[in-house]
Amino acid sequence: MDKAHIPKVSFVRKLKTVATFTRLNTKRFFRDRLAIFFGILFPLIFLFVFGSISKGGGKLSFKVAILNDSKSSYSTTFINQLKSSKLYKIDSTVSNLNQAENKMSKSQLDGVIYLNKDFGVFEKGNNYPSGQVEVIYTQNQVTSGQTIASVLNQSLSGINSKFVTTKTPFVVTQNQLNRKSLTTFDYTFAGLLGFSIIGIGIFGPVNVFPELKKQGILRRLHTTPIAVWQYFLSTMFSQSIIGIVSIAIQFIIAILVFNLKVVGNYLEIITFLVLSIFMVLGIGLAIGGWAKNDRQAAPLSNIIVFPMLFLSGTFFPRFQMPQYLQAVTNYLPLTPVIDGMRLLTTEGKHLTQIMPEIGLILIWMVVIYFIAFKVFRWE
Amino acid sequence: MSDNILKVKNLKKTYNNKLAVDGISFEVKKGEIFGILGPNGAGKTTTLEMIETLRPIDSGTITVDGIDVQKYPDAVKQIIGVQPQTAAFQDKQKLSEIIELFASAYGEKVDAKKFLDEVNLGEKINSYAEDLSGGQRQRLSIATAIVHNPRVFFLDEPTTGLDPQARRNLWDLIKEIRDKGVTVIMTTHYLDEAEILCDRVAIMDKGKIIALDSPANLIKTLLKKGFKKEQKVEQANLDDVFIDLTGKGLRD
Repeated sequence: MDKAHIPKVSFVRKLKTVATFTRLNTKRFFRDRLAIFFGILFPLIFLFVFGSISKGGGKLSFKVAILNDSKSSYSTTFINQLKSSKLYKIDSTVSNLNQAENKMSKSQLDGVIYLNKDFGVFEKGNNYPSGQVEVIYTQNQVTSGQTIASVLNQSLSGINSKFVTTKTPFVVTQNQLNRKSLTTFDYTFAGLLGFSIIGIGIFGPVNVFPELKKQGILRRLHTTPIAVWQYFLSTMFSQSIIGIVSIAIQFIIAILVFNLKVVGNYLEIITFLVLSIFMVLGIGLAIGGWAKNDRQAAPLSNIIVFPMLFLSGTFFPRFQMPQYLQAVTNYLPLTPVIDGMRLLTTEGKHLTQIMPEIGLILIWMVVIYFIAFKVFRWE
Repeated sequence: MSDNILKVKNLKKTYNNKLAVDGISFEVKKGEIFGILGPNGAGKTTTLEMIETLRPIDSGTITVDGIDVQKYPDAVKQIIGVQPQTAAFQDKQKLSEIIELFASAYGEKVDAKKFLDEVNLGEKINSYAEDLSGGQRQRLSIATAIVHNPRVFFLDEPTTGLDPQARRNLWDLIKEIRDKGVTVIMTTHYLDEAEILCDRVAIMDKGKIIALDSPANLIKTLLKKGFKKEQKVEQANLDDVFIDLTGKGLRD
């Protein structure tokens, strides 16, 4: 048997096969309404829900009611000052202490600012007004009540120094740094991106592969010389294209609706995104490629996905977890994805500065694809 | 040294301690239509799948056009076309794209229109596979299996579930493919189909080949043994009536 007789396909032609599969399967995705719903619209619903919850986070304000028994003109001036401050959201529907207590017991009010009848009255021999401001709060509102009191105290001492000029030995001065800190939404958004990557990388193949096997479509492909790596690679590329489209839409909405400030470089974000999708997709390829049917795929993917969702900072930030849990969850596959996304997007870091995250993703990628190739079945 | 395109020697396959294929040997000549017949569980599909490289071989050898199936499975895949029993395709994919996809799986680039015309689906080039009828889907399946000009073409029960018109159309198609020089190997449950289409047939039962010859010779041998069928000399049967009444025209 002469070797020349044995047909051989060049490596370049094999790569062209990958390109054709990528192009045709991506086209297919954008014709499939159900796939578009789960791949693109579903994450947007989460974005709106979690975005709305965390919107306004980071801005400090108190819901207070003001009860005024004083008839002095100074009390009116003082109340107007409070109203103009952004620190207080004043509930003007409350007109007596009973109503206020009722609202405080339901946590609809953080506290009450009470001015008694002597407030703002000029005492004998004084050429300036004086009086007491009382802050009323319940047992559950100690923190906010004390904060309101100390903030009021500070503004009153500002007022006092105007009336009585004395030299104060020690003062606190404020110096606002010209830099933003992270808002709750910055954490939420990175977590939601992690969630979409899971949707595209894991739920996508886990839903599709058992169906392809059931219909014998994968088996049909197996009769052709296409290799597993070619099939995997084309899936990696087409899911990345879909992921970029889906996540681009989320960025646009986050910027327009939720005031996300992107300080990172978009090219770096896309690079990191594709790397993340490649890695997470490996989990989907391993589960979907191994499972013979839905009954095997669904429970396995849930066992793997749900702990990751809750432990890697998808729905709430990891810094809220106890230390020991953070130490463990540091090494989950999704953690470096979410952390890296946040570092690049809102903290303005560069790829070269998030090498620990990239390294961890690469290590997981090797492990996951090793398993995925081992367990893949065409039928 | 024969120039037989398929050589199977002492092929064995065991499932759960049961011999599914029990040391069979046969050869297929270049350019013939070869049928593998037999009741369910006779080992037809297992034999076919081992030749197609889809199932590991327990013992024995298979060569396709001189290439060892166990040593060079990818090379064998490159020169054979396989049409599985059920023709399934991904939905939301146009016929032209399906042809392109399969051609690229073989590393080829083809004119999709030409291939679809050959199987009478030229008009459907922009349709989705899920909108085709059973017969059309079967023809599309054949088109995807011959996009790379295979030397051997395997069909597993190609006409199961098709109406008489679609069956006849498929027979013509299979003959056309053979006439282009492609060797055709098929399994079937329909003995009329085997008689009309196949140059030679192997009859399998319980994992063994119990007869192998042309349909005419097999009949002759049987008659020589003194077999007599209750004879009603009629020049037509119900099949002929059906075709006469409904015509040969394809319905889908």
